[in-house]
Amino acid sequence: MTQIIFTFLNGITLAGLYFLVASGLTLIFGLMRVINLAHGAFYLLAGYISWTVADKTGNWFIGVLAGALCLAVFGTVVYVLLLRKFQYEELRVALITLGVSLVLAQTMLAIFGGEYYQTSAPEIFTNSVPIPGLDLSYPFFRIFILILAVVVAIALWLFISKTRYGAIIRAGVDDTKMVSALGINVQAVFVWIFFIGSLLVGLAGGIGGTANSFGMGTDGDYLLFSLQVVIIGGLGSIGGVAIGAFLVGVVGQFAVGYFPTYAGLITFSMLILILAFRPQGILGRKR
Amino acid sequence: MTIKRSIYVLVLLFAIAFPFITPDPSFWVSSGGTRALWLGVAALSMVFLNRNLGLMSLGQLFFSGIAGYTVAISTVKYGIPLETSVPLGIFLGTLAGVIIGLIAIRTKGVYFFMLTLAVTLGLYAFANQAQEFTHGQTGFNSIPSPVIFGVDFAEVNAQYFLFLGIAIVLFAVCKFLERTSFGIALQGVRDNEERMISMGYRTTLLKILAFIFSSFIASIAGVMGVFYVTNISPTSVGLVRSIDLLVVVVIGGATYLGGAFIGAVLIALFEAAIQDFTPYYVGATGILFIAILMVAPQGLMGVAAQIRAYRNKKNEKAAAVK
Repeated sequence: MTQIIFTFLNGITLAGLYFLVASGLTLIFGLMRVINLAHGAFYLLAGYISWTVADKTGNWFIGVLAGALCLAVFGTVVYVLLLRKFQYEELRVALITLGVSLVLAQTMLAIFGGEYYQTSAPEIFTNSVPIPGLDLSYPFFRIFILILAVVVAIALWLFISKTRYGAIIRAGVDDTKMVSALGINVQAVFVWIFFIGSLLVGLAGGIGGTANSFGMGTDGDYLLFSLQVVIIGGLGSIGGVAIGAFLVGVVGQFAVGYFPTYAGLITFSMLILILAFRPQGILGRKR
Repeated sequence: MTIKRSIYVLVLLFAIAFPFITPDPSFWVSSGGTRALWLGVAALSMVFLNRNLGLMSLGQLFFSGIAGYTVAISTVKYGIPLETSVPLGIFLGTLAGVIIGLIAIRTKGVYFFMLTLAVTLGLYAFANQAQEFTHGQTGFNSIPSPVIFGVDFAEVNAQYFLFLGIAIVLFAVCKFLERTSFGIALQGVRDNEERMISMGYRTTLLKILAFIFSSFIASIAGVMGVFYVTNISPTSVGLVRSIDLLVVVVIGGATYLGGAFIGAVLIALFEAAIQDFTPYYVGATGILFIAILMVAPQGLMGVAAQIRAYRNKKNEKAAAVK
């Protein structure tokens, strides 16, 4: 029983991390129909930046903040320089971002080498908290990730569906010309979406790089997780990402815990099975 | 048409003469020619699907990987002779194509692209985890090459001509299929699926058949890869390799069958030439890839058409001004 609860906690906290990673991807796609396949590389880059800054300054918070902000700026630059011109050619954009991920992966390999890194968490996070009613304690940092993911999810939802800026963003996506005619600078709106989406993956990179080790190949792993999450949940929907992250995280952890050899195969079969019945993902809109 | 035909003949003659006229044959025949043919066949499977159905698949490495791993596991681990393991590998790779095809074909455009990418990344994760089957990171080494009628195909020239033969046959089969009613129906589905449905075509079946055929070519490429590099490991099906293949397709021209081989030759030459200068040559390929996508999205085969379109546009504009 304890084992099952422990595995479940691992799964759901990991789901929190997956949500943070994939929310940026789905936000950008859902609003702009731009798919950023350099997402895994962005995650890894944020991990390296956070590690370096935290190491130099000795302050974890500054490190994570630096990772998130650097990525936000970097993502925006990539968008403005490479993607904006072809924004309405989905596949071409996807291909360019894959090229970006290739270049990034090689650059990071050249700078940081093949070893694995892990940022050390600040003291207040290193404690374990006892789980009431059970003879079990659980690392506080992982619970913190879950809480953060929930906060980000609610904030994103409120921002997109309740605020004036959210309304402008949604309108700008549905009818770019009309919104421009109303005197709103839609190009600036798109830049901000990219900024926020990249900020989210940057944040995820710093946090995830503290919870788990990272290094060469992590970019591919997290690209896979994000794709699984958004494909299962339905691309472009924040709620879908939450469901997808939950399924991939929890099912993945049970698979790793009980059938380690077939873990990849199990999550993969889940993906295929869901797609067989709902090709657009669980919450995806049929297009 | 005669110009096109004479180009084919010239390219063929050059390909046959290549091992005898190249400088430093011990390096260039294998690292340039044979590698290009292998990449070209893999790229061909992608181009066929994109050209006739408008679907860009990153799942080709999945089928290649299944075929390659099957050959590696059955020969190295169980000592099954190549006469059995090679057909088995191609069969299983194609069978995987049936299964993935049934699912993937229901999606379109960038969704299809993402799904097939996820499939390949999934195989990478499985190959890493399932140590008892795949030996994890180590994979399988020293996979033997076939010996047919006393010819050892591990020998550089023999392998080159074997690969050249396979490439020619598959290229011809693709060309032939495009002219059959099947191929023309596929192009119809690509251009307007609704109309094809209302004309009574079973478009889903057509799409799945095309997908299976392309995974069949990819499986052959997988077996070629195993014989060429003589080892297989998760890296062989990893993200970087998938993008590598995509680079070949995009640089050559994703809607031209010949583009697959042009891209393959260029990438093989480019990487063979540049790897002496920098160990991070994959990054250099990436920059080349982005540049091509931004400037000439139809690849090198499409440059002529692009210039023509640009000129026409210019002329039209000039006429409009008058």
